[in-house]
Amino acid sequence: MALLTPYSKIPELNTATLLLVENEEQFQCRLADAIVQREKDVNVNVRLARKLPLPVENGETRPRIDLVVFIVNLLSEQSFLVVENSLNHLSSDYFLGKVCFVVTSARCGAVSQERLLSVRKLAASHRCPVICAEHQTDDGVTMAATRLLTILKVSAGLSPMPTTALYMSTLTRCTVPSDLDED
Amino acid sequence: MDEQARSILQRIIKKTPSKRLETIIRSWNCLSEDQLHSLNYSQPKWLFLENLVSRCEVRLFNGNVTKTEIKLYKNHIHNPNQGTWHACQLFQAEDDALSVHFTQFRESFIAHLEDVVQHVSVGMKKLEDGAIWVRIAWGDNFRKPNHLKPTYLVHYLQSSYVFIHNVTPKHRPFLYQALVLATRHVSIKECHLSSRSLTAMRDLLMKQYQQVVFLVLNIFPNTDPNIEREHAESSEGRHQMACEAFGCGVLPKLETAVYKLETRYRGNSNNTLNDGDELFRGVVKFSSKNILESLRHCVSTGMAEGPVTPLLSSITQKGRNYFVITDKVSGATASQTPAPKA
Repeated sequence: MALLTPYSKIPELNTATLLLVENEEQFQCRLADAIVQREKDVNVNVRLARKLPLPVENGETRPRIDLVVFIVNLLSEQSFLVVENSLNHLSSDYFLGKVCFVVTSARCGAVSQERLLSVRKLAASHRCPVICAEHQTDDGVTMAATRLLTILKVSAGLSPMPTTALYMSTLTRCTVPSDLDED
Repeated sequence: MDEQARSILQRIIKKTPSKRLETIIRSWNCLSEDQLHSLNYSQPKWLFLENLVSRCEVRLFNGNVTKTEIKLYKNHIHNPNQGTWHACQLFQAEDDALSVHFTQFRESFIAHLEDVVQHVSVGMKKLEDGAIWVRIAWGDNFRKPNHLKPTYLVHYLQSSYVFIHNVTPKHRPFLYQALVLATRHVSIKECHLSSRSLTAMRDLLMKQYQQVVFLVLNIFPNTDPNIEREHAESSEGRHQMACEAFGCGVLPKLETAVYKLETRYRGNSNNTLNDGDELFRGVVKFSSKNILESLRHCVSTGMAEGPVTPLLSSITQKGRNYFVITDKVSGATASQTPAPKA
Protein backbone atom coordinates (compact mmCIF):
# COMPACT_ATOMS: atom_id res chain seq x y z
CA MET A 1 0.00 0.00 0.00
CA ALA A 2 1.65 3.20 -1.14
CA LEU A 3 1.71 5.68 1.68
CA LEU A 4 2.00 9.38 1.29
CA THR A 5 5.30 10.40 2.82
CA PRO A 6 6.40 13.91 3.71
CA TYR A 7 10.11 13.75 3.21
CA SER A 8 10.53 11.76 0.04
CA LYS A 9 10.75 14.81 -2.19
CA ILE A 10 12.94 17.85 -2.22
CA PRO A 11 11.30 21.05 -1.05
CA GLU A 12 11.25 24.12 -3.27
CA LEU A 13 12.39 27.57 -2.29
CA ASN A 14 9.83 29.72 -0.54
CA THR A 15 7.03 27.34 -1.41
CA ALA A 16 4.53 25.55 0.72
CA THR A 17 1.98 22.98 -0.43
CA LEU A 18 -1.28 22.18 1.24
CA LEU A 19 -3.54 19.21 0.60
CA LEU A 20 -7.23 19.65 1.37
CA VAL A 21 -9.19 16.42 1.64
CA GLU A 22 -12.96 16.64 1.66
CA ASN A 23 -15.57 14.13 0.58
CA GLU A 24 -18.16 16.66 -0.57
CA GLU A 25 -15.75 18.91 -2.49
CA GLN A 26 -17.61 22.08 -1.62
CA PHE A 27 -15.86 23.90 1.17
CA GLN A 28 -12.42 23.04 -0.13
CA CYS A 29 -12.83 25.21 -3.26
CA ARG A 30 -13.71 28.33 -1.35
CA LEU A 31 -11.04 27.66 1.21
CA ALA A 32 -8.43 27.15 -1.50
CA ASP A 33 -9.34 30.44 -3.16
CA ALA A 34 -9.17 32.29 0.14
CA ILE A 35 -5.81 30.78 1.05
CA VAL A 36 -4.20 31.56 -2.27
CA GLN A 37 -5.47 35.11 -2.26
CA ARG A 38 -4.35 35.88 1.25
CA GLU A 39 -0.77 34.85 1.02
CA LYS A 40 1.51 37.05 -1.02
CA ASP A 41 4.96 36.48 0.46
CA VAL A 42 5.14 32.77 0.15
CA ASN A 43 4.19 30.76 -2.89
CA VAL A 44 1.33 28.57 -1.69
CA ASN A 45 0.10 25.61 -3.72
CA VAL A 46 -3.17 23.97 -2.84
CA ARG A 47 -4.17 20.51 -3.96
CA LEU A 48 -7.74 19.33 -3.64
CA ALA A 49 -8.70 15.71 -3.17
CA ARG A 50 -11.78 13.72 -2.28
CA LYS A 51 -10.02 11.04 -0.32
CA LEU A 52 -6.74 9.21 0.11
CA PRO A 53 -4.99 7.38 -1.47
CA LEU A 54 -4.22 9.89 -4.16
CA PRO A 55 -4.15 8.75 -7.77
CA VAL A 56 -0.85 7.22 -8.75
CA GLU A 57 -0.78 9.07 -12.07
CA ASN A 58 -0.19 12.40 -10.40
CA GLY A 59 2.66 11.09 -8.28
CA GLU A 60 5.43 12.45 -10.48
CA THR A 61 4.13 15.96 -10.83
CA ARG A 62 2.94 16.30 -7.27
CA PRO A 63 5.17 18.48 -5.12
CA ARG A 64 6.08 17.69 -1.56
CA ILE A 65 3.06 18.12 0.65
CA ASP A 66 3.72 20.08 3.81
CA LEU A 67 0.33 19.95 5.47
CA VAL A 68 -2.60 17.59 5.04
CA VAL A 69 -5.94 19.03 6.08
CA PHE A 70 -8.97 16.77 6.52
CA ILE A 71 -12.26 18.60 6.26
CA VAL A 72 -15.11 16.86 8.04
CA ASN A 73 -18.69 17.99 7.54
CA LEU A 74 -20.51 17.06 10.72
CA LEU A 75 -23.82 16.83 8.88
CA SER A 76 -22.68 13.79 6.94
CA GLU A 77 -21.63 10.44 8.34
CA GLN A 78 -19.93 9.57 5.08
CA SER A 79 -17.59 12.53 5.51
CA PHE A 80 -16.23 11.17 8.77
CA LEU A 81 -15.91 7.62 7.51
CA VAL A 82 -13.90 8.73 4.49
CA VAL A 83 -11.50 10.66 6.71
CA GLU A 84 -11.07 7.71 9.03
CA ASN A 85 -10.26 5.52 6.09
CA SER A 86 -7.87 8.02 4.56
CA LEU A 87 -5.77 8.21 7.70
CA ASN A 88 -4.53 4.72 6.96
CA HIS A 89 -2.88 5.94 3.81
CA LEU A 90 -0.66 8.50 5.47
CA SER A 91 2.84 7.68 6.57
CA SER A 92 3.33 8.05 10.30
CA ASP A 93 5.83 10.87 9.73
CA TYR A 94 2.93 13.12 8.86
CA PHE A 95 1.49 12.89 12.32
CA LEU A 96 4.43 14.79 13.77
CA GLY A 97 2.74 18.11 13.12
CA LYS A 98 1.80 17.91 9.46
CA VAL A 99 -1.86 16.93 9.78
CA CYS A 100 -4.78 19.08 10.79
CA PHE A 101 -8.54 18.55 11.04
CA VAL A 102 -11.13 21.14 10.03
CA VAL A 103 -14.70 20.63 11.14
CA THR A 104 -17.69 22.47 9.62
CA SER A 105 -21.27 22.83 10.87
CA ALA A 106 -20.24 22.25 14.47
CA ARG A 107 -22.77 24.81 15.67
CA CYS A 108 -25.66 23.34 13.76
CA GLY A 109 -28.47 22.25 16.03
CA ALA A 110 -29.27 19.19 13.95
CA VAL A 111 -25.88 17.66 14.58
CA SER A 112 -25.53 15.16 17.37
CA GLN A 113 -22.73 15.69 19.82
CA GLU A 114 -21.31 12.24 19.26
CA ARG A 115 -19.96 13.06 15.85
CA LEU A 116 -17.94 16.02 17.03
CA LEU A 117 -16.72 13.96 19.94
CA SER A 118 -15.62 11.14 17.68
CA VAL A 119 -13.72 13.59 15.45
CA ARG A 120 -11.99 15.01 18.49
CA LYS A 121 -11.12 11.56 19.76
CA LEU A 122 -9.71 10.66 16.39
CA ALA A 123 -7.63 13.83 16.32
CA ALA A 124 -6.50 13.35 19.89
CA SER A 125 -5.36 9.81 19.27
CA HIS A 126 -3.25 11.07 16.36
CA ARG A 127 -2.02 14.14 18.22
CA CYS A 128 -3.44 16.63 15.73
CA PRO A 129 -5.23 19.93 16.13
CA VAL A 130 -8.90 20.46 15.31
CA ILE A 131 -10.17 23.74 13.90
CA CYS A 132 -13.88 24.52 13.77
CA ALA A 133 -14.74 26.55 10.68
CA GLU A 134 -17.74 28.54 9.64
CA HIS A 135 -18.22 27.74 5.98
CA GLN A 136 -21.26 29.76 5.07
CA THR A 137 -19.95 33.31 5.43
CA ASP A 138 -16.99 34.95 3.70
CA ASP A 139 -15.58 36.01 7.03
CA GLY A 140 -15.63 32.47 8.28
CA VAL A 141 -13.84 31.17 5.22
CA THR A 142 -11.20 33.90 5.51
CA MET A 143 -10.69 33.14 9.18
CA ALA A 144 -10.22 29.43 8.49
CA ALA A 145 -7.79 30.28 5.69
CA THR A 146 -5.73 32.49 7.99
CA ARG A 147 -5.48 29.83 10.66
CA LEU A 148 -4.50 27.19 8.18
CA LEU A 149 -1.87 29.46 6.68
CA THR A 150 -0.30 29.96 10.08
CA ILE A 151 -0.04 26.24 10.65
CA LEU A 152 1.13 25.69 7.08
CA LYS A 153 4.00 28.10 7.39
CA VAL A 154 5.24 26.37 10.49
CA SER A 155 4.99 22.90 9.07
CA ALA A 156 6.72 23.96 5.85
CA GLY A 157 9.56 25.44 7.85
CA LEU A 158 8.89 28.97 6.66
CA SER A 159 8.02 30.49 9.98
CA PRO A 160 10.28 33.40 10.94
CA MET A 161 10.53 32.23 14.49
CA PRO A 162 12.43 29.01 15.14
CA THR A 163 9.38 26.80 15.58
CA THR A 164 9.12 23.24 14.45
CA ALA A 165 5.98 21.51 13.37
CA LEU A 166 6.28 18.97 16.13
CA TYR A 167 6.57 21.62 18.80
CA MET A 168 3.55 23.46 17.44
CA SER A 169 1.43 20.40 17.27
CA THR A 170 2.25 19.50 20.83
CA LEU A 171 0.87 22.85 21.84
CA THR A 172 -2.21 22.78 19.64
CA ARG A 173 -3.19 19.14 19.66
CA CYS A 174 -6.74 18.28 20.37
CA THR A 175 -7.63 16.86 23.74
CA VAL A 176 -10.77 15.19 24.98
CA PRO A 177 -11.76 15.31 28.67
CA SER A 178 -10.69 11.75 29.42
CA ASP A 179 -7.17 12.63 28.24
CA LEU A 180 -6.93 15.50 30.64
CA ASP A 181 -7.95 13.29 33.54
CA GLU A 182 -5.18 10.87 32.80
CA ASP A 183 -2.60 13.64 32.56
CA MET B 1 -76.28 36.54 -8.89
CA ASP B 2 -76.17 32.95 -7.83
CA GLU B 3 -73.82 31.59 -5.23
CA GLN B 4 -71.51 29.79 -7.57
CA ALA B 5 -70.85 32.68 -9.90
CA ARG B 6 -70.24 34.85 -6.90
CA SER B 7 -67.71 32.44 -5.41
CA ILE B 8 -65.85 32.22 -8.66
CA LEU B 9 -65.78 35.96 -8.93
CA GLN B 10 -64.55 36.18 -5.38
CA ARG B 11 -61.81 33.69 -6.10
CA ILE B 12 -60.65 35.61 -9.14
CA ILE B 13 -60.61 38.93 -7.38
CA LYS B 14 -58.69 37.49 -4.46
CA LYS B 15 -56.04 36.02 -6.69
CA THR B 16 -55.54 38.99 -8.97
CA PRO B 17 -53.06 41.59 -7.83
CA SER B 18 -54.76 44.97 -7.44
CA LYS B 19 -52.78 46.60 -10.20
CA ARG B 20 -54.14 44.23 -12.82
CA LEU B 21 -57.70 44.21 -11.55
CA GLU B 22 -58.78 47.11 -13.69
CA THR B 23 -57.45 45.68 -16.94
CA ILE B 24 -59.09 42.36 -16.29
CA ILE B 25 -62.49 43.75 -15.52
CA ARG B 26 -62.29 46.01 -18.52
CA SER B 27 -61.53 43.04 -20.73
CA TRP B 28 -64.74 41.31 -19.73
CA ASN B 29 -66.80 43.94 -21.52
CA CYS B 30 -69.83 43.57 -19.34
CA LEU B 31 -69.89 46.92 -17.59
CA SER B 32 -70.54 50.28 -19.16
CA GLU B 33 -67.95 53.04 -19.03
CA ASP B 34 -69.75 54.90 -16.25
CA GLN B 35 -69.94 51.80 -14.14
CA LEU B 36 -66.27 51.12 -14.73
CA HIS B 37 -65.36 54.61 -13.64
CA SER B 38 -67.42 54.39 -10.54
CA LEU B 39 -65.50 51.40 -9.22
CA ASN B 40 -62.88 52.25 -6.67
CA TYR B 41 -59.88 49.96 -7.06
CA SER B 42 -58.17 50.90 -3.86
CA GLN B 43 -60.90 49.49 -1.67
CA PRO B 44 -60.34 46.33 0.31
CA LYS B 45 -61.19 43.40 -1.87
CA TRP B 46 -64.31 42.20 -0.09
CA LEU B 47 -65.82 45.65 -0.39
CA PHE B 48 -64.79 45.85 -4.01
CA LEU B 49 -66.52 42.56 -4.66
CA GLU B 50 -69.79 43.84 -3.24
CA ASN B 51 -69.67 46.90 -5.45
CA LEU B 52 -68.91 44.85 -8.48
CA VAL B 53 -71.68 42.37 -7.88
CA SER B 54 -74.23 45.10 -7.52
CA ARG B 55 -73.39 46.43 -10.97
CA CYS B 56 -73.21 43.27 -12.97
CA GLU B 57 -75.30 41.23 -15.27
CA VAL B 58 -75.02 37.53 -14.72
CA ARG B 59 -75.33 36.39 -18.29
CA LEU B 60 -72.35 38.12 -19.74
CA PHE B 61 -70.30 37.18 -16.77
CA ASN B 62 -70.13 33.45 -16.99
CA GLY B 63 -68.45 33.23 -20.36
CA ASN B 64 -65.87 35.87 -19.59
CA VAL B 65 -65.24 34.65 -16.13
CA THR B 66 -64.23 31.22 -17.29
CA LYS B 67 -61.79 32.68 -19.79
CA THR B 68 -60.26 34.84 -17.11
CA GLU B 69 -59.96 31.97 -14.79
CA ILE B 70 -58.05 30.03 -17.38
CA LYS B 71 -55.63 32.90 -17.81
CA LEU B 72 -55.24 33.36 -14.09
CA TYR B 73 -54.80 29.68 -13.63
CA LYS B 74 -52.08 29.59 -16.18
CA ASN B 75 -50.23 32.31 -14.36
CA HIS B 76 -50.53 30.42 -11.14
CA ILE B 77 -49.64 27.04 -12.45
CA HIS B 78 -46.72 26.80 -10.12
CA ASN B 79 -48.96 27.18 -7.12
CA PRO B 80 -48.42 23.98 -5.13
CA ASN B 81 -51.89 24.00 -3.68
CA GLN B 82 -53.39 23.40 -7.05
CA GLY B 83 -52.94 19.66 -7.11
CA THR B 84 -51.29 17.39 -9.66
CA TRP B 85 -51.35 17.21 -13.42
CA HIS B 86 -51.34 13.90 -15.27
CA ALA B 87 -50.07 13.30 -18.77
CA CYS B 88 -51.70 11.17 -21.44
CA GLN B 89 -50.69 10.33 -24.95
CA LEU B 90 -52.80 9.90 -28.06
CA PHE B 91 -52.03 7.03 -30.38
CA GLN B 92 -52.68 6.01 -33.93
CA ALA B 93 -53.34 9.30 -35.60
CA GLU B 94 -55.59 9.14 -38.54
CA ASP B 95 -54.62 10.78 -41.78
CA ASP B 96 -56.17 14.12 -41.14
CA ALA B 97 -55.00 14.42 -37.53
CA LEU B 98 -52.24 16.87 -38.36
CA SER B 99 -54.57 19.21 -40.15
CA VAL B 100 -56.90 19.71 -37.20
CA HIS B 101 -56.87 23.34 -36.23
CA PHE B 102 -58.21 25.16 -33.24
CA THR B 103 -61.77 25.98 -34.29
CA GLN B 104 -62.31 22.53 -35.67
CA PHE B 105 -60.99 20.97 -32.47
CA ARG B 106 -63.15 23.18 -30.35
CA GLU B 107 -66.38 22.51 -32.17
CA SER B 108 -65.71 18.82 -32.37
CA PHE B 109 -64.69 18.46 -28.74
CA ILE B 110 -67.63 20.38 -27.35
CA ALA B 111 -70.06 18.56 -29.60
CA HIS B 112 -68.81 15.13 -28.59
CA LEU B 113 -68.70 15.98 -24.92
CA GLU B 114 -72.17 17.40 -24.88
CA ASP B 115 -73.41 14.32 -26.65
CA VAL B 116 -72.47 12.09 -23.76
CA VAL B 117 -72.74 14.43 -20.81
CA GLN B 118 -75.64 16.76 -21.21
CA HIS B 119 -74.91 19.21 -18.46
CA VAL B 120 -71.41 20.41 -19.00
CA SER B 121 -69.90 23.82 -19.45
CA VAL B 122 -66.77 24.09 -21.56
CA GLY B 123 -64.47 27.06 -22.02
CA MET B 124 -61.52 26.99 -24.37
CA LYS B 125 -58.66 29.33 -25.05
CA LYS B 126 -55.68 29.15 -27.31
CA LEU B 127 -52.48 30.73 -26.03
CA GLU B 128 -49.57 32.23 -27.93
CA ASP B 129 -47.29 29.26 -27.46
CA GLY B 130 -49.73 26.97 -29.22
CA ALA B 131 -51.26 25.43 -26.12
CA ILE B 132 -55.00 24.97 -25.98
CA TRP B 133 -56.45 25.32 -22.50
CA VAL B 134 -59.83 23.73 -21.90
CA ARG B 135 -61.85 24.27 -18.78
CA ILE B 136 -64.70 21.87 -18.10
CA ALA B 137 -67.32 22.17 -15.40
CA TRP B 138 -69.31 18.97 -14.91
CA GLY B 139 -72.92 18.71 -13.91
CA ASP B 140 -75.62 16.05 -14.02
CA ASN B 141 -79.37 15.79 -14.16
CA PHE B 142 -79.83 17.25 -10.72
CA ARG B 143 -77.11 19.85 -10.52
CA LYS B 144 -75.84 22.68 -12.62
CA PRO B 145 -72.24 22.49 -13.79
CA ASN B 146 -69.96 22.91 -10.84
CA HIS B 147 -67.58 25.73 -11.64
CA LEU B 148 -65.80 25.51 -8.36
CA LYS B 149 -64.13 22.24 -9.20
CA PRO B 150 -63.36 22.43 -12.88
CA THR B 151 -61.25 20.06 -14.87
CA TYR B 152 -58.41 21.61 -16.82
CA LEU B 153 -56.99 20.11 -19.93
CA VAL B 154 -54.01 21.34 -21.91
CA HIS B 155 -53.23 20.08 -25.38
CA TYR B 156 -50.60 21.09 -27.91
CA LEU B 157 -52.25 20.59 -31.25
CA GLN B 158 -49.44 19.17 -33.32
CA SER B 159 -48.15 16.92 -30.55
CA SER B 160 -49.81 13.84 -29.19
CA TYR B 161 -49.69 14.83 -25.54
CA VAL B 162 -52.54 15.91 -23.32
CA PHE B 163 -52.21 17.15 -19.74
CA ILE B 164 -55.18 16.74 -17.45
CA HIS B 165 -55.88 18.17 -14.06
CA ASN B 166 -58.57 17.27 -11.56
CA VAL B 167 -60.85 14.86 -13.35
CA THR B 168 -62.88 12.32 -11.39
CA PRO B 169 -62.84 8.64 -12.43
CA LYS B 170 -66.50 8.97 -13.30
CA HIS B 171 -65.94 11.62 -15.93
CA ARG B 172 -62.63 10.42 -17.25
CA PRO B 173 -63.97 8.03 -19.92
CA PHE B 174 -66.15 10.78 -21.37
CA LEU B 175 -63.21 13.11 -21.51
CA TYR B 176 -61.00 10.57 -23.20
CA GLN B 177 -63.62 9.73 -25.75
CA ALA B 178 -64.25 13.34 -26.67
CA LEU B 179 -60.52 13.96 -26.92
CA VAL B 180 -59.84 11.01 -29.13
CA LEU B 181 -62.62 11.89 -31.50
CA ALA B 182 -61.82 15.58 -31.63
CA THR B 183 -58.13 15.07 -32.32
CA ARG B 184 -58.75 12.36 -34.89
CA HIS B 185 -56.82 9.58 -33.18
CA VAL B 186 -57.80 6.05 -32.32
CA SER B 187 -56.77 5.62 -28.71
CA ILE B 188 -55.42 7.38 -25.66
CA LYS B 189 -53.25 5.99 -22.92
CA GLU B 190 -51.83 7.23 -19.64
CA CYS B 191 -48.21 8.26 -19.66
CA HIS B 192 -47.58 7.46 -16.01
CA LEU B 193 -46.17 10.91 -15.51
CA SER B 194 -47.55 13.25 -12.90
CA SER B 195 -46.28 16.41 -11.33
CA ARG B 196 -47.44 19.63 -9.77
CA SER B 197 -45.76 21.68 -12.44
CA LEU B 198 -47.24 21.65 -15.91
CA THR B 199 -44.19 23.23 -17.51
CA ALA B 200 -41.95 20.53 -16.08
CA MET B 201 -44.02 17.76 -17.62
CA ARG B 202 -44.29 19.54 -20.90
CA ASP B 203 -40.55 20.12 -21.08
CA LEU B 204 -39.81 16.53 -20.17
CA LEU B 205 -42.18 14.98 -22.67
CA MET B 206 -41.51 17.33 -25.51
CA LYS B 207 -37.78 17.19 -24.87
CA GLN B 208 -37.38 20.88 -24.52
CA TYR B 209 -34.67 20.82 -21.93
CA GLN B 210 -31.00 20.63 -22.63
CA GLN B 211 -30.15 17.04 -23.28
CA VAL B 212 -27.05 17.35 -25.38
CA VAL B 213 -23.98 16.31 -23.51
CA PHE B 214 -20.81 18.08 -24.48
CA LEU B 215 -17.52 16.59 -23.43
CA VAL B 216 -17.06 18.66 -20.36
CA LEU B 217 -13.39 19.41 -20.19
CA ASN B 218 -13.39 22.05 -17.56
CA ILE B 219 -16.38 21.90 -15.27
CA PHE B 220 -14.64 23.42 -12.33
CA PRO B 221 -13.08 26.54 -13.72
CA ASN B 222 -10.10 26.96 -11.49
CA THR B 223 -8.04 29.52 -13.28
CA ASP B 224 -5.62 29.84 -10.42
CA PRO B 225 -2.50 27.88 -11.32
CA ASN B 226 -1.69 27.28 -7.68
CA ILE B 227 -4.79 25.20 -7.10
CA GLU B 228 -4.90 21.73 -8.51
CA ARG B 229 -7.30 18.85 -8.27
CA GLU B 230 -6.08 15.35 -7.63
CA HIS B 231 -9.19 13.52 -8.68
CA ALA B 232 -10.03 15.71 -11.65
CA GLU B 233 -10.45 12.84 -14.09
CA SER B 234 -12.78 10.80 -11.98
CA SER B 235 -14.82 13.90 -11.13
CA GLU B 236 -15.25 14.66 -14.78
CA GLY B 237 -16.14 11.07 -15.49
CA ARG B 238 -18.85 11.07 -12.86
CA HIS B 239 -20.20 14.39 -14.02
CA GLN B 240 -20.31 13.11 -17.58
CA MET B 241 -22.19 10.01 -16.49
CA ALA B 242 -24.70 12.05 -14.53
CA CYS B 243 -25.34 14.37 -17.44
CA GLU B 244 -25.78 11.48 -19.84
CA ALA B 245 -28.36 9.88 -17.64
CA PHE B 246 -30.31 12.96 -16.66
CA GLY B 247 -29.41 15.81 -18.97
CA CYS B 248 -27.44 19.03 -18.54
CA GLY B 249 -28.41 22.46 -17.38
CA VAL B 250 -31.74 23.17 -15.79
CA LEU B 251 -33.85 20.05 -15.39
CA PRO B 252 -37.65 19.84 -15.37
CA LYS B 253 -39.01 20.05 -11.86
CA LEU B 254 -40.58 16.74 -10.99
CA GLU B 255 -41.41 16.04 -7.38
CA THR B 256 -41.63 12.28 -7.07
CA ALA B 257 -40.55 9.01 -8.62
CA VAL B 258 -42.57 5.99 -7.59
CA TYR B 259 -41.59 2.37 -8.12
CA LYS B 260 -44.17 -0.25 -7.39
CA LEU B 261 -42.58 -3.61 -6.68
CA GLU B 262 -44.33 -6.81 -7.53
CA THR B 263 -41.44 -9.13 -7.10
CA ARG B 264 -40.55 -12.03 -4.90
CA TYR B 265 -38.54 -11.37 -1.81
CA ARG B 266 -34.93 -12.40 -2.18
CA GLY B 267 -32.93 -12.32 0.99
CA ASN B 268 -29.96 -14.06 2.50
CA SER B 269 -31.34 -15.12 5.81
CA ASN B 270 -33.80 -17.92 6.41
CA ASN B 271 -36.95 -16.25 7.39
CA THR B 272 -40.54 -16.71 6.50
CA LEU B 273 -40.58 -14.00 3.89
CA ASN B 274 -38.37 -16.12 1.68
CA ASP B 275 -40.59 -19.16 1.67
CA GLY B 276 -43.82 -18.00 0.21
CA ASP B 277 -44.44 -17.99 -3.48
CA GLU B 278 -46.49 -14.90 -3.10
CA LEU B 279 -45.34 -11.61 -4.38
CA PHE B 280 -43.79 -9.18 -1.99
CA ARG B 281 -45.59 -5.97 -2.72
CA GLY B 282 -43.89 -2.76 -1.87
CA VAL B 283 -43.62 0.80 -3.06
CA VAL B 284 -40.41 2.79 -3.24
CA LYS B 285 -40.96 6.50 -3.47
CA PHE B 286 -38.32 9.16 -4.02
CA SER B 287 -39.46 12.68 -3.39
CA SER B 288 -37.73 16.02 -3.48
CA LYS B 289 -38.36 19.55 -4.60
CA ASN B 290 -36.61 18.71 -7.84
CA ILE B 291 -36.03 14.97 -8.02
CA LEU B 292 -34.04 14.97 -11.25
CA GLU B 293 -31.63 17.55 -9.91
CA SER B 294 -31.22 15.56 -6.68
CA LEU B 295 -30.50 12.33 -8.53
CA ARG B 296 -28.05 14.01 -10.84
CA HIS B 297 -26.26 15.51 -7.87
CA CYS B 298 -26.09 12.12 -6.16
CA VAL B 299 -24.41 10.61 -9.18
CA SER B 300 -22.02 13.44 -9.96
CA THR B 301 -20.73 13.74 -6.40
CA GLY B 302 -20.25 10.03 -6.07
CA MET B 303 -22.89 9.41 -3.40
CA ALA B 304 -24.51 6.91 -5.71
CA GLU B 305 -22.22 4.49 -7.48
CA GLY B 306 -22.11 4.45 -11.23
CA PRO B 307 -23.08 3.36 -13.80
CA VAL B 308 -26.53 4.82 -13.41
CA THR B 309 -29.12 2.09 -13.16
CA PRO B 310 -31.67 2.14 -15.98
CA LEU B 311 -34.41 2.26 -13.36
CA LEU B 312 -33.44 5.85 -12.64
CA SER B 313 -32.30 7.02 -16.03
CA SER B 314 -35.55 5.90 -17.60
CA ILE B 315 -37.28 8.75 -15.83
CA THR B 316 -35.82 11.10 -18.38
CA GLN B 317 -35.34 8.62 -21.20
CA LYS B 318 -38.94 7.47 -21.20
CA GLY B 319 -40.58 10.50 -19.65
CA ARG B 320 -42.45 8.83 -16.82
CA ASN B 321 -42.23 8.76 -13.07
CA TYR B 322 -44.37 5.81 -12.10
CA PHE B 323 -42.93 2.37 -12.70
CA VAL B 324 -44.09 -1.13 -11.92
CA ILE B 325 -41.30 -3.62 -11.49
CA THR B 326 -42.14 -7.26 -11.96
CA ASP B 327 -40.00 -10.35 -11.88
CA LYS B 328 -40.30 -11.16 -15.53
CA VAL B 329 -38.71 -7.97 -16.82
CA SER B 330 -35.41 -8.18 -14.98
CA GLY B 331 -34.08 -9.43 -11.72
CA ALA B 332 -34.82 -6.02 -10.32
CA THR B 333 -34.80 -5.96 -6.56
CA ALA B 334 -34.56 -3.10 -4.18
CA SER B 335 -30.83 -3.59 -3.90
CA GLN B 336 -30.25 -2.21 -7.36
CA THR B 337 -31.38 1.25 -6.46
CA PRO B 338 -28.63 3.40 -4.98
CA ALA B 339 -28.43 3.83 -1.26
CA PRO B 340 -30.21 6.93 -0.05
CA LYS B 341 -28.19 9.80 1.35
CA ALA B 342 -27.26 9.25 4.95
